[in-house]
Amino acid sequence: MSLFEIKNCKKTFNGQKVLDDISFKINEGEVLAIIGSSGSGKTTLLRICTFLECMDDGEMWYLDNQVVSSSSGRAKYIGQDDLSLDSLNKNKELVKIKSYFGLVFQSFNLFPHWTVLKNVMDAPISVQKRNPNEVKERAMYFLKKMGLEDKANNYPCELSGGQQQRVAIARALCLEPKIIYFDEPTSALDPELTSEILKVIKELAKEKRTMVIVTHEMNFARDVADRVIFMNDGVVVEEGNAYDLITNPKKERTKRFLQKYNE
Amino acid sequence: MSYTSLILKILDGAGASFIIFFTTLLFSLPLGILIMFARMSKVKPLSAVTRFIISILRGTPLMLQLIVWFFGPYYIFGLKLNYSWRIVSIILGFSINYAAYFAEIYRSGLISIPISQYEAATVLGYTKSQTFIKIIFPQMVKRVLPAVTNEIITLIKDTSLAFVVAYAEMFTIAKQVAAKETTIVPLFIAGLFYYIFNYIVAFAMERIEKAFDYYR
Ligand SMILES: Nc1ncnc2c1ncn2[C@@H]1O[C@H](COP(=O)(O)OP(=O)(O)O)[C@@H](O)[C@H]1O
Ligand SMILES: [Mg+2]
Repeated sequence: MSLFEIKNCKKTFNGQKVLDDISFKINEGEVLAIIGSSGSGKTTLLRICTFLECMDDGEMWYLDNQVVSSSSGRAKYIGQDDLSLDSLNKNKELVKIKSYFGLVFQSFNLFPHWTVLKNVMDAPISVQKRNPNEVKERAMYFLKKMGLEDKANNYPCELSGGQQQRVAIARALCLEPKIIYFDEPTSALDPELTSEILKVIKELAKEKRTMVIVTHEMNFARDVADRVIFMNDGVVVEEGNAYDLITNPKKERTKRFLQKYNE
Repeated sequence: MSYTSLILKILDGAGASFIIFFTTLLFSLPLGILIMFARMSKVKPLSAVTRFIISILRGTPLMLQLIVWFFGPYYIFGLKLNYSWRIVSIILGFSINYAAYFAEIYRSGLISIPISQYEAATVLGYTKSQTFIKIIFPQMVKRVLPAVTNEIITLIKDTSLAFVVAYAEMFTIAKQVAAKETTIVPLFIAGLFYYIFNYIVAFAMERIEKAFDYYR
């Protein structure tokens, strides 16, 4: 079953085409890696998938909910007539859909005034209205999984970048989303901390969690992802089985991109 | 006049000064938040008018504003005002003036918070008001505390401006006694009181700032 689908997504910033006819699906239990040079539109794409940005035209589904439809060349978001971010955030139907996904940012974006545990527990309690005791148990479970149970009462500023990113992953997991998006989760980290995060994501992949990962770690994408999308200048240049695409790309542009990583 | 009765008299005035100080903070600190919201409103006329009012409040002497609040109702509307209008007009004048300053301080604190904090909250599903109350506001408070402390210390000294409407606060009284007894001692004593008061407030604010040191 496909959990997510986007079709012919277009996005322009001040007249500059950033995404042009992007289409792909995410199947349950699948790990999809998105690769491409910086500026190719990967972040914008994830921001559209997570409602931080609206697309100009295209279609989008989460499970069998059509979130965006295309009407006379314009994207139409479910339950609203205009295309403004502000109303996107108030939109009741989208708010429900938001619980289907989580997003892990490049720069962690933890809430600095809360302890690690509160960072992980608060949204399930105050957004999803779940039982605090049950949430605390889940939060401790995820923190333990991230190797951070002894940091539960620390503040984010007391943690290393790698630890902060693991808290951010636990925070996303604790909302029990169906899909987790990662936008270059290791780009702000040094190599040692990078491998620590990649290991954690690898573990999640083994549990058959559905994940979409924007990454510059080609070996990781090859070994952990099921499928890879290579983007360039706002279009999908090549898409396919992760191992095949990275070890044996078909398109010239993909070859040139991957060569830079083998030098 | 004996020193004891002199000090008692000035203490009386200190009480009046403290009332101005305390009520001004009580009203202006929250009012500043409302003004900040109006100033940042997406409704253009509202933000434009608020911006104009703030510029007047910050661009004219507080002393002048106090006179206008006190005499305005009589000169502009011909209203006869009873005795209590004096203190009411002082508190209005101070509170609204300080609220304008606080609003700008809050606003600068608010815009210094990275957009990514809002975005993280949005993706997690927090509503706009939850995001403000739980995530943005507490961080804003920490960021504005040093600037707010400066304003509070200025306010202590500014309470003496109430003399322009002949309100019997500490400075007014000290000046009267000084004139009557032809001595400068009452003014020194008043100065000492202002200093001690400031010292206590600065100490308290430092403690509050320290209490926010647990995170960066
Ligand atoms: N908010 C924005 N306003 C204007 N241009 C933007 C904005 N966000 C991204 N862009 C532009 O869109 C292009 C794609 O950016 P991005 O999605 O961040 O790429 P990537 O994540 O692949 O590096 C870039 O040229 C960038 O300058
Ligand atoms: Mg990016």
